[in-house]
Amino acid sequence: MIEVHQLCKSFTQGSGRQRRTVQAVAGVGFVAANACITGLLGPNGAGKTTTLRIAAALIVPDSGWVRVDGIDVARQPMAALSRMGVLSDARGLYPRLTARENIVYFGRLHGMDEARAQARVEELAEVLEMKALLDRRTDGFSQGERMKTALARALVHDPANIVLDEPTNGLDVLATRALREALRRLRDEQGKCIVFSTHIMQEVERLCDQVVVVAQGRTVASGTVAALRRQTGQADFEDSFVQLAFGASPQPQQAGPLAPGARQ
Amino acid sequence: MNAIWTVFRKELLDALRDRRTLLIVLLSSVAVGPLVLVLISTLIAGIEKRAEAREVVVQGMQYAPTLRNYFQRQNFSVAAAPAEHEQKLRDSKLGDPVLVVPPDFEDLLARGEAPVVVLLSSANNQRSQAGSGPLRRLIRGFNQEQAVLRLAARGVAPAALEAVQLDERDLADPGSRAAQLSTMVPFFVLMAVLYGAMGAALDTTAGERERGSLEPLLMNPASRWSLVLGKWAAVASVGMLIAVLSCLSFLPGQWLLRSETLAAMFRFGMAEALAFIGLLLPLAGALAALLMALAIRCKSFKEAQASATLLVFGVSMLPLVTLFNQEGRAAWHLWVPALAQSTLMGRVLKGEALPWLDLLVPMAMCVLLVLLGVGFVVRTLRSAALK
Repeated sequence: MIEVHQLCKSFTQGSGRQRRTVQAVAGVGFVAANACITGLLGPNGAGKTTTLRIAAALIVPDSGWVRVDGIDVARQPMAALSRMGVLSDARGLYPRLTARENIVYFGRLHGMDEARAQARVEELAEVLEMKALLDRRTDGFSQGERMKTALARALVHDPANIVLDEPTNGLDVLATRALREALRRLRDEQGKCIVFSTHIMQEVERLCDQVVVVAQGRTVASGTVAALRRQTGQADFEDSFVQLAFGASPQPQQAGPLAPGARQ
Repeated sequence: MNAIWTVFRKELLDALRDRRTLLIVLLSSVAVGPLVLVLISTLIAGIEKRAEAREVVVQGMQYAPTLRNYFQRQNFSVAAAPAEHEQKLRDSKLGDPVLVVPPDFEDLLARGEAPVVVLLSSANNQRSQAGSGPLRRLIRGFNQEQAVLRLAARGVAPAALEAVQLDERDLADPGSRAAQLSTMVPFFVLMAVLYGAMGAALDTTAGERERGSLEPLLMNPASRWSLVLGKWAAVASVGMLIAVLSCLSFLPGQWLLRSETLAAMFRFGMAEALAFIGLLLPLAGALAALLMALAIRCKSFKEAQASATLLVFGVSMLPLVTLFNQEGRAAWHLWVPALAQSTLMGRVLKGEALPWLDLLVPMAMCVLLVLLGVGFVVRTLRSAALK
């Protein structure tokens, strides 16, 4: 279980006369339960990534706290991190190591011995359908292959809590479907607590048991997709999201051909 | 402790798999030393040969039997100038200056009318310049002999010509030149260590950030100290490996020495190699820590290379202090890393014994640098991990 309470964090940018303060997070709070997929939904720059970075002990918040299975992340970061698997925004691999070596390296850093780490790699390769990739160097990997390797790396220590920052970025339809399927299995078969951030409605509608809408650094609404639709009185979830996130009721779209590149 | 070992093993594997970089480093560091040694020895051998040769190159020697007779009495042999010698001198293809004798030399000389001989050399042809000094002295000697003979024929004492007698002696022998050149050896070894450690140091810091693997790495439950110490140990090991290889590479290198003088001057046996390695290992550690500290704030490998240039510049300039110094050996030289090592390596080459205290000071400075560098990297990773 991951509890986030009233998080605030501001950054200062530039120096001298150009110095200015950006309030990245100003009161985000939610509870992500076990055996449940929680979606953190918000427009670009809403503070999703900063929230997840605070949860992963990379940033110390100005105020508020994050608890992972009851452990305060700021006070006991090592203990909290060993109960968490985080796939962050940055998901670089070591190009001169094979996928297996990449994953085992993180397993060893989590304190696993070589045999256990190797066994876990085989297990994860089964779940994520990446057996053929294991002994290739990650240098020439496609986006989807990188993603799978990074996910396996984040899950190598079999964490009870899984945090994913925009995991479907750059994935094609099939890869996205495979990832969704994998997440569902982790929830249903192993009762994991899964939190993932996204700005894509479809993903939330198809996958999430609970949605937390974040805008301008704060939590503006939370509940199931159906509950949020009811709350806003909109039939379409996209419309309810726009209403929740931007405060205004959405302008109905002009009938006619879609602009090129517009998301359907 | 476990985490340090894990990081160390992974970083070392990663560095050793970077074949192309490693190959370039090995070629430039391990092969360059002996190559320079061979080049120096060829140069010195050439100088020695020329000094021993006692040969003058003359065009039209047949017109001047008197002059030829004088050359031969001075133990110089005469060689005829090759065809198109002017062009060859200009193109530096001919190493000796050429003396041109006019056809009416003997006639003019007999009449006391001072024939003109021309000394051909070229300012951009260093070897011909070096050879024209002795040739000029030879002609001056001939003039003097002729003058003395003429005066004696008229009953004047030769001493009336010379108020002062000048006796010239050149004290510079090829051996001392060789000693000067072999001071370059410590410089090459220092540079090899620096460049050897650089690739790995930048890859584990700025490279890690650029790749986007730094953030995932920091989300492991391992302390920053163990991550950084593991990385430092791997980078230092690569630097130390290069240090050992480049020192040992001088051992076979000196078998190729062609100059006996240089071979006598440059005594580099197993004992010297071990002393060099002993001096360089702590320095490799210090340079690894410094490079990592310089690179850790950089967002890309390229940016890190630019800041590492500072260190390269410093390390390459410091040994010059001993070349330009007016004060001789100063105690502070031993307190400056890189300068201390190059000074001490120079002393090893001269066959001096090194007192323990002179070894302890540079060693302590290196340990201090390692602590400062590693500490700085840890601090940076704690606070500004994301930016």
